[in-house]
Amino acid sequence: MVGYVATEGPLHRAHPLTVLTFGATIAILAFVLRGPWGPVAVFAVALGAAFTERVPGVLKPAAVLALPFWIFLLVIHGLLRSDVATAVTLGARISAILVGFLVVLSAVPPSRLVEALVAKRVPFSAAFLLAATLQAVPRLRERAAAVLEAQRCRGLALRGSVIHRVRAIVPLTVPLVLGALGEVDERALALEARGAGAGRRTPLDPPRDGTMDHLVRWCCAALIVVAIVVRVA
Amino acid sequence: MSAIALKNVAFRYPASPERALDGVDLAVERGEIVLVTGPLGAGCSTLLLLLAGFAPRITSGTRTGTVRVLDTDPGTYDGWRAVVGRIGVLLPTPSTQISGMAFTVRDEVAFGPANLGWEPARIRKEAAAAMERLGVAHLAARDPTTLSGGELQRVILAGLVAMHPSVYLLDEPALELDPEGAALVYELLPTLSEEASVVLATTDVDRAARIAHRAMLLDAGRVVACGTPDAVLGTVRAVALDAAGTVPAVAHAAGCDAPYPLRVPELLARLRP
Repeated sequence: MVGYVATEGPLHRAHPLTVLTFGATIAILAFVLRGPWGPVAVFAVALGAAFTERVPGVLKPAAVLALPFWIFLLVIHGLLRSDVATAVTLGARISAILVGFLVVLSAVPPSRLVEALVAKRVPFSAAFLLAATLQAVPRLRERAAAVLEAQRCRGLALRGSVIHRVRAIVPLTVPLVLGALGEVDERALALEARGAGAGRRTPLDPPRDGTMDHLVRWCCAALIVVAIVVRVA
Repeated sequence: MSAIALKNVAFRYPASPERALDGVDLAVERGEIVLVTGPLGAGCSTLLLLLAGFAPRITSGTRTGTVRVLDTDPGTYDGWRAVVGRIGVLLPTPSTQISGMAFTVRDEVAFGPANLGWEPARIRKEAAAAMERLGVAHLAARDPTTLSGGELQRVILAGLVAMHPSVYLLDEPALELDPEGAALVYELLPTLSEEASVVLATTDVDRAARIAHRAMLLDAGRVVACGTPDAVLGTVRAVALDAAGTVPAVAHAAGCDAPYPLRVPELLARLRP
């Protein structure tokens, strides 16, 4: 599960900038805190967020993405250098960032993010770029599924030997990439035709940025500063 | 002053040695619907890209000749800034035209007006009126990504109508629409043309010829003919290019002499002994 999921978690109710701040804090603390327990603790917080937001589905793609890194790290650091602590530190950092990013993706609808940023006087083009980046992964997954289905209908077999499977990647990736590039071109024309980036956009329904959101964002900033000071000291 | 004025316009895409358009002249007045048609590769879509200011500013390529739309050259950045929101462009594929920034059809239709910085009350009013005109008001609360291609195309067109452009550039507006939806769009165009100029690039000449005031036939980027739909489409050349529509093609096959009729009753009258 990658992309926005409508649930009722605290991050889902929060202002989009608060959610982005949460994601950034997870990523920064995962790197700043000393290993192995610091990154492990941050990873635990990210996991906790996935459950409190009721989006445990994000853990599956996170695991799929993190698993190769874990295997690589455990072999290099754990087996060859007998340094499991470093492997756990690096693995926990990667996992925390992945889970944190996917939780942020699941909690912020791109339209709400754009409205929030435009209301904060961020230029529409910059807000759209950020939102489009967050949408890129889910869109590519949808497109990849469609390409896979179409190629299977045309007789592409994905089972068999490793060489056979590697060969099958080409007819999947070429239409995926070319199709995505073509779509980007046409979408750019369509957006420009509808006045995107022409001037000051009117936020139609800007999300409420309450005191609690401000407080959480300041707490996150303070936490980052304290972590950096402790690390440097 | 014409709403659209092209003089001796030529255009070449960067990767192509051939000109996509060559020596095109066209003037479109306010209130006119001009049908642009031709076989595949004729240059109809390229003509719209030029008029919208997308070519060569975004597509790149080389353009010569004069292009004036609403008294400015939309191919320049300053020109585009001057006419933004006043030229409504509809592309053939609806799925690539949604903003991706709206959870409801209502917000999708309001996307363009919001970009123009209008007051929220005006945006809501214009969006509601446009949805009503395009027959998509009942879809207002739906997620645009769950609509069919035809419904989505009407939603995108409603988004343009809500902006009240002075020029509509419509590229195959009914390509993915069911017959009922296509009929609705073509019925709407005369109403739109009361307050704007409409350039309609399509191969659906059977429908388009009924509402167009003038037609322009293109082949390999060159103007073959330009005039009333009857004069342009009821010709041997238009039939030979497979751009004349069903009735002239049937008349030609039945052995009638050119000019061929565009409407069934006229054809029947010609065929009666």
